[in-house]
Amino acid sequence: MGKFEAGMEGMIDTYVYETTTLMEQLDQILIKSEAKGGFDDDIINEIFRIMHTVKGSSAMMGLENMATLAHSMEDLFFIIREEKPVIRSYERLFGLIFSAADLLSGEIDLLQDDSVPLTDFSAQVQTIKEYEKELRSGIADGTESAEKTVSVPVYFERQDNPSGNGESSVKVYFEDGIEMENLRALLLVNNLADECTIVSHVPEKLENNSDAAEEIVQNGFIINFVPVNGLQSVLKVIESSGSIKTYEILNGGGQSDGKAEKLNADLENLNLNTVPDNDTESAAQIQIPESEQSVQPAQQMRPDNSTPRGQQTASQPASKGKQSLISVNLNKLDQLLDMVGEIVITEAMVISNPDLKGLRLDDFQKAARQLRKLTDELQDIVMSIRMVPISGVFNKMTRIVRDMKVKLGKEVNLEFEGETTEVDKSVIDGLFDPLMHMVRNSMDHGIENTAQERIDAGKPPVGTVTLSAYSTSGEVIIAVSDDGGGINCEKVLAKAAANGLLTKPESDYTDKEIFGLLMLPGFSTNEEVTEFSGRGVGMDVVKKNIEKIGGSVSIESKAGVGTDFIVKIPLSLAIVDGIEVSVGESIFTIPMGSIKESIKIKGNQLVKDTSGREMVMLRGACYPLMRLYEIYGLEPKYSDPYDGMVMVVEAEGHSACILVDELIGEQQVVVKPFSAMLNRYDVKRNGMAGCTILGDGSITIILDVSNIILDK
Amino acid sequence: MEEVLIDQVTDTFAEDGGEILLFFVNEVLYGIDIRFITEIIGIQPITIVPLVPSYIKGVINIRGKVVPVISARRKFGLPEIDYDEKTCIIVVEVNETPVGIIVDMVRAVQSVMPGDICSSPGAGTVNPSDQYVSTIIESDGEIKLLLDIHKLVLE
Repeated sequence: MGKFEAGMEGMIDTYVYETTTLMEQLDQILIKSEAKGGFDDDIINEIFRIMHTVKGSSAMMGLENMATLAHSMEDLFFIIREEKPVIRSYERLFGLIFSAADLLSGEIDLLQDDSVPLTDFSAQVQTIKEYEKELRSGIADGTESAEKTVSVPVYFERQDNPSGNGESSVKVYFEDGIEMENLRALLLVNNLADECTIVSHVPEKLENNSDAAEEIVQNGFIINFVPVNGLQSVLKVIESSGSIKTYEILNGGGQSDGKAEKLNADLENLNLNTVPDNDTESAAQIQIPESEQSVQPAQQMRPDNSTPRGQQTASQPASKGKQSLISVNLNKLDQLLDMVGEIVITEAMVISNPDLKGLRLDDFQKAARQLRKLTDELQDIVMSIRMVPISGVFNKMTRIVRDMKVKLGKEVNLEFEGETTEVDKSVIDGLFDPLMHMVRNSMDHGIENTAQERIDAGKPPVGTVTLSAYSTSGEVIIAVSDDGGGINCEKVLAKAAANGLLTKPESDYTDKEIFGLLMLPGFSTNEEVTEFSGRGVGMDVVKKNIEKIGGSVSIESKAGVGTDFIVKIPLSLAIVDGIEVSVGESIFTIPMGSIKESIKIKGNQLVKDTSGREMVMLRGACYPLMRLYEIYGLEPKYSDPYDGMVMVVEAEGHSACILVDELIGEQQVVVKPFSAMLNRYDVKRNGMAGCTILGDGSITIILDVSNIILDK
Repeated sequence: MEEVLIDQVTDTFAEDGGEILLFFVNEVLYGIDIRFITEIIGIQPITIVPLVPSYIKGVINIRGKVVPVISARRKFGLPEIDYDEKTCIIVVEVNETPVGIIVDMVRAVQSVMPGDICSSPGAGTVNPSDQYVSTIIESDGEIKLLLDIHKLVLE
C-alpha cells in the first residue's frame, strides 16, 4: 500500500466511497449546469465545497497529486465565486472541469492497484492555472488582492457575514490514537464553513504541520467562530463529523450555555453514527435503508431535483435530524445472504428428513410451518437490504450521453423511465458496462447522423434515447431504446456474410435471427472504427456481461422507427421456489413463478396440428407439448403423455406444456450458477438456469422455462 | 497468459523437477502436476447435465460446491467402463474453477527429477490421449505421460 500515508490503510474504503460519491454528485451537477448554460451561486458553492472536501481528504490520505488537482479546481471556483469574472466560453470551462473530474475519478479507480503509480496531474493543473489567468485578465483591473486570496483558505474570508449571535468558542478532542489530528481539524473547519464564520482557531497553522497534531492531542482543538444559523446547527456539524471523542463549549456567545448536559447524550448518538468498520476487503459499499419508507438512499439524486442539495445528506448524514442510513461492507451482506441460503437448505433437510417419514407429528408440523414462515421473512428482508434503485446506473449514463453528444455532434435527449426500480446490488455492479455499451451503440449507430435525416423521416430533429426499467413477477426488464433509423437487416446480413458468420442461406434468416447476429463475437456494422463503438466487441461483450449476472439480451427493431435493446435479469439471483420433477433418473427444478398448473391429461386432450406438432387441449385452448426427455436426450420412465405429468408453464406471455415423469415435491432452493466450464456449452440457452443442492445433498438442475419454450 | 502459465509449469519441471500424481486410465500411466490438485475423492453420485459434450459426465456436490466432472476415458476417446471401488475423481483447480476428472485408479505421488524427462510426444506414438500430453517422463523403467491440465480441461 505504498500510495497512502502510513496508518491510513484502514481509511481507504471510506475514502474511496466518499470521494466516489462526491465525484458522482459533481458529474450530476455539472451536467445539469451545462444544460442550463451556466452556474448559479448555489452550484458554484456546491462545486467549491466538493473540491474542497476532496482536497482535504486526499491530502489526509497522502495523495498529493489528487489534492493538488482538487486544489487548483477549488482555486478556479474561488475566483468564479468571489471575483465574478465574465466567462466568455462556458464550453471551454465545462470541458476543463469535466476532464479534471474524470482524472480524479480515474485515479480513485486505480488507487487499490499498487502496481500503477500515482498519476502526474501537473499538466492539467497548469491548464487550469492558465485558464484562471485568462479569467482574471478579463476582470477589470485593480484586483491586486486577487493573487493573495487564492492561496488564503476561504474560511478566513467570510468575516463580513451577517451574524446574529456573538462569537462562540468550542474545544474539540479527537478520538485517542486516531492520528492526523491537524488534518482532521482542517476538515472540521472546512465542514463548519457553511454554518459559521470562523474567526480563529488554535493551533492556527494546520496544514503540513505535525506539531499541530501534537498540540491538538494535548490541549484539544479550539475554534472561535460566529455562527450563521445559531450555535445549535454548528454543534450538529461537529457531532456529525467522524472520529470526534468529545467537545466542550467554552463560550456560547449570545446563546445559553445550558447544553452541557445534553452533550453526552449527543455523543452517544454520534458513536452510533460513525461506522466502526475498517475492513479493507472491498471498497464497494451500499446504503442500507433502515425501513421500507426510506428506500431511496439519501445520496441518490432524483433527476427532477434541480437543486443539488443531495450533497449535504451524503457527506454529513447526521446533520439533518436522526440518522437513518448506514454504510455496510458488501462482503458482510454477501455472507449474510450465503448464510440465509444455508439456513433454507438446512430447514429443508430437517423438515423433510427421511427419518420422519410416515410419522404423525402434528406439533412438529406446526412448528415447522412457523419456522418456514420466519425463514421466508428473513429471506425477504435480506433480499430487500441488497436492493438498490437502478437510478444510480442510469444517472451515470447522462455523462456518457453528454460526452458523445459533443464528440459525435448529434443532438440527443436521454430520458429515464422507472428509474426507482430496484435490483440486487450485485446486478447493479454488473450492469454499468453493458448499459454503457448499449447507450453508446444507440447514440452512435441508432440515432441518425444529422438532424436533417430525422426531419426528412418526419421525426423531431432531436433524437431520444430512453432508459427504462420495470419489474415483473420474477424479472427486472431494462431497455435501452432509441428513436433512430432502426437496424438495416440487409446490411447486417451482408456484413455477417462478409465476416463468415452465416450458417445457412441468407433468405432463411428471420428478423430475430438477424438481430442475434449482431451479438456474435467479431461483428460490427460500422465501417469506421470510432472511439465509442465499432471495434466489433460491443454487443458481444454486452451479451457476455449480462449472462454473467444471469440475464439475457434481446434486440427489437423496426426500420425507421427505432431499436430496443432489452435486458432481462432475474429479480432474485439467489433463492427460488420450485417444483421438483423427475425425468427418468434425473431431477429438475422448475421455478414456481413460471408454472401455471400441473395436470394429468386424459381422453382426447392430446391432439396434433396440421404440421404434426403435438398439442394439449385444455379448457378450449391449445398448448404445444414438449417432451423434456426428447429435448434433453434422456431415458424417461414414461414416454406416453397420458402416463406422465404435464406441466403447464408460461414465460413472456407464451404458454406451453412440458411432459415430465412425476412430480416429486415443492422446495425452496438456492440457485448455484454453473461453473464457467459448463457455461461455455450454452447451458443457459438450452434452458438450464443453474443448479441447486437439495436437503439430501443431491444436485438438481433448475430449468429456465423461457429458453425451453421460446427457442424450440 | 494461459500459455505463459503452461510454459512456466513445464519449465520448472525441466529445471527443478516437481511432484506428480500418477494414475491409470485404460492401463496407461498418466501424471498430473500436484500443484493443480485440490483433492482426490471416490466416485460420487453424478447429476447429468443434458446437451453438453459427452466427456462432461455432469456435476457433483463437493461440500456445497457444484463441481463439473469430466471422464478421462471419454476425453481420450476410450470406451467407458463400469465404476468400481478403485474409480476416483481427481479434483483439480484450473483458472480458479474446480473440475473433477474421473480416472480408473490412482497410484501414488512421485517426485520427478529433471533427468527423468524424455521429451514431448513425437511422431510415431499412437495414443489417442497424445494431444493432452505435455511431457513424457521415464523413471523406474516406466513411461509416464504428464498431462497438460489446461488442455485437458479447457479444450
